[in-house]
Amino acid sequence: MALEYSFTLDGVEHGVSIAARQPELVLTVDGRAHQVAESGALNEECALLTVDGRRYQVWRTWEGNRIHLRIGNRSFSVGYEDAITAAQHHAGGDDTLRADMPGVVVAVNASAGAHVAAGDVLIVIESMKMQINIVAPREGTVETVHVAVNQTFDKGAQLISLHAEA
Amino acid sequence: MFDSILIANRGEIACRVIRTARRLGLRSIAVFHHEDRHAPHVALADVAVELHADVPTAAYLDIAQLLDVAKREGAQCIHPGYGFLSENAKFAEAVEQAGLAFVGPQSEVIRLMGDKIHSREFAVKAGVPVSPSVKQEGDLDSFVEQAAKIGFPLLIKAAAGGGGKGMSIVRSVGELAARARTAMGEAERYFADGRVYAERYIERPRHIEVQVMGDGQGNVVHLFERECSVQRRFQKIIEESPAPNLPRELRDRICKAAVELAASAKYRNAGTVEFILAPDGEFYFLEMNTRLQVEHPVTEMVCGVDLVEAQLRVAAGEGLPWKQSDLKQTGHAIECRICCEEPEHDFRPATGAARLLRLPEGDGVRFDGGIRQGQAITAAFDSMVGKLICHAATRLEACDGIVRALDEFVLLGVSNNIDYLGQVLRHAAFRDGQLHTGFIAEHAADLAQPPLDDTDRAALLIAAALGVDDFRRLAYETPEPHASIGAWRN
Repeated sequence: MALEYSFTLDGVEHGVSIAARQPELVLTVDGRAHQVAESGALNEECALLTVDGRRYQVWRTWEGNRIHLRIGNRSFSVGYEDAITAAQHHAGGDDTLRADMPGVVVAVNASAGAHVAAGDVLIVIESMKMQINIVAPREGTVETVHVAVNQTFDKGAQLISLHAEA
Repeated sequence: MFDSILIANRGEIACRVIRTARRLGLRSIAVFHHEDRHAPHVALADVAVELHADVPTAAYLDIAQLLDVAKREGAQCIHPGYGFLSENAKFAEAVEQAGLAFVGPQSEVIRLMGDKIHSREFAVKAGVPVSPSVKQEGDLDSFVEQAAKIGFPLLIKAAAGGGGKGMSIVRSVGELAARARTAMGEAERYFADGRVYAERYIERPRHIEVQVMGDGQGNVVHLFERECSVQRRFQKIIEESPAPNLPRELRDRICKAAVELAASAKYRNAGTVEFILAPDGEFYFLEMNTRLQVEHPVTEMVCGVDLVEAQLRVAAGEGLPWKQSDLKQTGHAIECRICCEEPEHDFRPATGAARLLRLPEGDGVRFDGGIRQGQAITAAFDSMVGKLICHAATRLEACDGIVRALDEFVLLGVSNNIDYLGQVLRHAAFRDGQLHTGFIAEHAADLAQPPLDDTDRAALLIAAALGVDDFRRLAYETPEPHASIGAWRN
């Protein structure tokens, strides 16, 4: 539930996550909770959004990892890192790659002792109906594969570890 | 009247001309470069013929291909629009030599007005005021004596100059000799030519222009003035008619000067005489544009005329459609040029695609556009994709109306100046009509977008988050009733 999505506005990163879905939607933006209601969405591009009692007409369109929006009579372009990329990035700092959300292992492409290059797909997992590649954050040697195909795991579970850098 | 027309242009002006041509029952023939094959003017015309050129703009400048298409498709006249070949005397000549009517002035008048020095001399002969200036012909002392007669402040420039070198603003007679000597030294060093000249320096000038229409026989009417002082990168972005805070008597004198100039040239068809208006009420001829202007719609709105129809009637030899006494200004019209650019980065042009386009509506609102949803905006052509015009009973009502229309205007996928224009139109100095050509620079700080407050920023990020598939799914995934809000982008 606390999965945070990262958005970039004018070069500054902001986190948005879901605090509650009931009785009404509460989203946190940079740690602050906001009551949210959507109504009158005629199509996916146009919606009426109420945030903390303030009403906004929203126009939206998508381009790769950017969302172009018109809200409050101003246009913006917001970059977002989807959970897949974010999960990869968050794991990147450590020698052990961990799951950022619960899921199931679809494929394991590396075994202990294997030499891998940065960007190699080591494991494929499925979370929220999406296949996600877990890639090597750096060149190295695989120390341990913690999961097997079809195994389910929880958020934060260890997936694969590389030998610590010399 | 003709029964067919070729439009040697693209974008909004091609669409604009085609609409009138169709209304009058003319078969419209469009031309396009491959890059423009999905452009609206191609779809709007009765016939569209591709022109071939490696560089897209070169296609619209290719006289031989244009004339070839005109002959093959049986066009009786050619409308050049603005830009491209519209002020090219050779093109006008070639069109008439090919036996077609050129919807514009005589080629020799285009040539005359296209030359800065000759047109200025012509204006002097026609009795139209030009900015006082003095050329250095003798020694420093005689130049200083002559220059002082212009009055202060004045500007000293290198005769061979450019880029501000050898240029100096002189505010009093006491500093004139020293400044002139410095300017001559700089001019000698930079241009190996020490000659300088002096002209009246006009602070906070306004750009006022007059729409004229002539029959080519010396009969000319004017359709009043337009104010075009709000400019960026030396290009107009907001134009209006009538000009605010312009005394009627002064307005009449400016319009009269424009008519005299055009009549002296036996001007044929639509043209615009541009003036610089000084804060003291003096006005000076700047140049004459021998074509339909980008900003012609504000004149059409306040005068209740169709200038393209008038152009076609004059070109067809029907004479002027109005007497001067027929022409009246009613209400006020403002036009904003919608450009794909980044106002926050010195208005540099932006490229992208018009991923989402929703045009504003409402009383008195007009959009002259050349853009469709999905269309790519490339660096191949001008950054202007259309013009938003609002006509209302008073200037403030027109300001309010165009602000509402700008607020409603959705153009997403490519950076544009819509929000910036809103800032200008909301500015107190604009609403007061305190306009001059340095308006954008003077109010730069006020015109920047204000920072978002916390709730607005949160709403923006929430709107973005709810536009991401998996976030949306997480937010609304069971239990009911949230799931009933509907499937979005699956």
